[in-house]
Amino acid sequence: MTPTLIARDLRKDYPMNGETVHALRGVSLRVDSGDYAAIVGPSGSGKSTLLQLLGGIDTPTAGAVELSGTRLDALSDRELTRLRLTRLGFVFQRFHLLPVLTARENVELPMAEAGVRGPERRVRARELLDYVGLAQRENHRATQLSGGEMQRVAIARALANRPAVVLADEPTGELDAATGREILDLFLRLNRDGTTLVVVTHDDRLAAEAGRVIHMLDGAIRD
Amino acid sequence: MRSALPPSFLALVAVLALVRPAPAAAQLPGIAVERRLAGELSLRVGDTLRLGAAPDSMRGVGVVAAIYEPRPDPAQITKQDRYVRMHLPDLARLLGAPDRVDRFGVALRPGIAPDSAAARLDRSAFGYQAYPSAAIASESSQTFLVVSRFHRAIAVITIVASAVFLLCVMLLKVEERRMDAAVMRFVGVRRRTIFGALLLEAAVIAVLGSAVGTALALAAGAATNAYYRRFFHTALTFSLITPGIVGFSVALSLALGLVAGAAAAWRLVRTRPMVLWGRG
Repeated sequence: MTPTLIARDLRKDYPMNGETVHALRGVSLRVDSGDYAAIVGPSGSGKSTLLQLLGGIDTPTAGAVELSGTRLDALSDRELTRLRLTRLGFVFQRFHLLPVLTARENVELPMAEAGVRGPERRVRARELLDYVGLAQRENHRATQLSGGEMQRVAIARALANRPAVVLADEPTGELDAATGREILDLFLRLNRDGTTLVVVTHDDRLAAEAGRVIHMLDGAIRD
Repeated sequence: MRSALPPSFLALVAVLALVRPAPAAAQLPGIAVERRLAGELSLRVGDTLRLGAAPDSMRGVGVVAAIYEPRPDPAQITKQDRYVRMHLPDLARLLGAPDRVDRFGVALRPGIAPDSAAARLDRSAFGYQAYPSAAIASESSQTFLVVSRFHRAIAVITIVASAVFLLCVMLLKVEERRMDAAVMRFVGVRRRTIFGALLLEAAVIAVLGSAVGTALALAAGAATNAYYRRFFHTALTFSLITPGIVGFSVALSLALGLVAGAAAAWRLVRTRPMVLWGRG
């Protein structure tokens, strides 16, 4: 398989109250194209920090991340922003849609930023909303959607620019069991359709359905 | 016959007393009475009046030939003076001083400078003092200049306070958007785009704010005019909001809004996304 995402000996230290907290203590990881990897572990084990480093949101204290052969630490802030826009998709626990925009406009946002023309991005946004089962809600504002619907819009937004990897941080954390199940099914379908997924979760069901589970403890991988 | 008027009701020079009905109105000198005076004395056209230079010398008789609306004058609205108008010979006869005049106006031909004409008149005869009308207007409008400066000072204070308020609003709005801005940065939205969006929002707030402010000002101005017109029985305009004032205020608020928005947005986009996210 082609490696899509590679992490080499990632370390992340934070200063806190005059002391150094070692959030990550040398994590190495390889995610291949088409993988569905779940990162699990107790709170404070470094799962979210790892996801932030993999996504180029934060910079490691040491080590490197490579996405499709490009080292993230070699990129300028502008290049990294562009890479996040075009090669990565993000799904957050609390959805984080822009409340003043409709579902379709939220999905269009990354495409607009990438320079996709209006008619083309509207067609793509409608396709994605149809894919996540929200074709009828495209003109509803984010505030008019339920939690599950907002998360599905967020997934559609993450897919907008056909990313190499979708990174999700506790995507079912704010949802009830039934709605969480719908999101799990959607992730499974996404992966079957070829999307590479890396998901940080506390949800045992999600971990059980992922093709690969990475256990973390105290800033390191334990398996 | 009605009693003589109190001295405060002195007209230009005449004291009036009403005689009704008129015995031979056609031969009597006609006078024009100011609307408010006519209203206060229930005068009508055709009524006959006794006239005099003082309450104890009511020698003349005249007939109300017209009731007129005086030209609105800001300098007169708080005064209790009431006026009648008479033909000059009738007035001279009433005063008993046909060869005396206190003041008179001189109309200049186009092209003649009022200052040089006044200076020439002053030189021509001892005892004359000629003033250009602009100098008289300036002298009589000193109070209004002071009031105008006072208004300007209030306006400046208001603008400064509004600017501070607008900056605070923008900073608060930006603070509310820290998480949104972080997420936008995470998903690849450029700083420039976020900056532009916030700037646009600031401009919209400023324009909407100035539109609301203009509407409020128009309403307050209309209420002010209605109240004081009734209070002073005048057609004067007390509050005037011109298109120029509206244009200036919109432009000013837009400029202030853009500055406030730019300051707030700059602060936001310079902050690292992880700090905005609360993890930095």
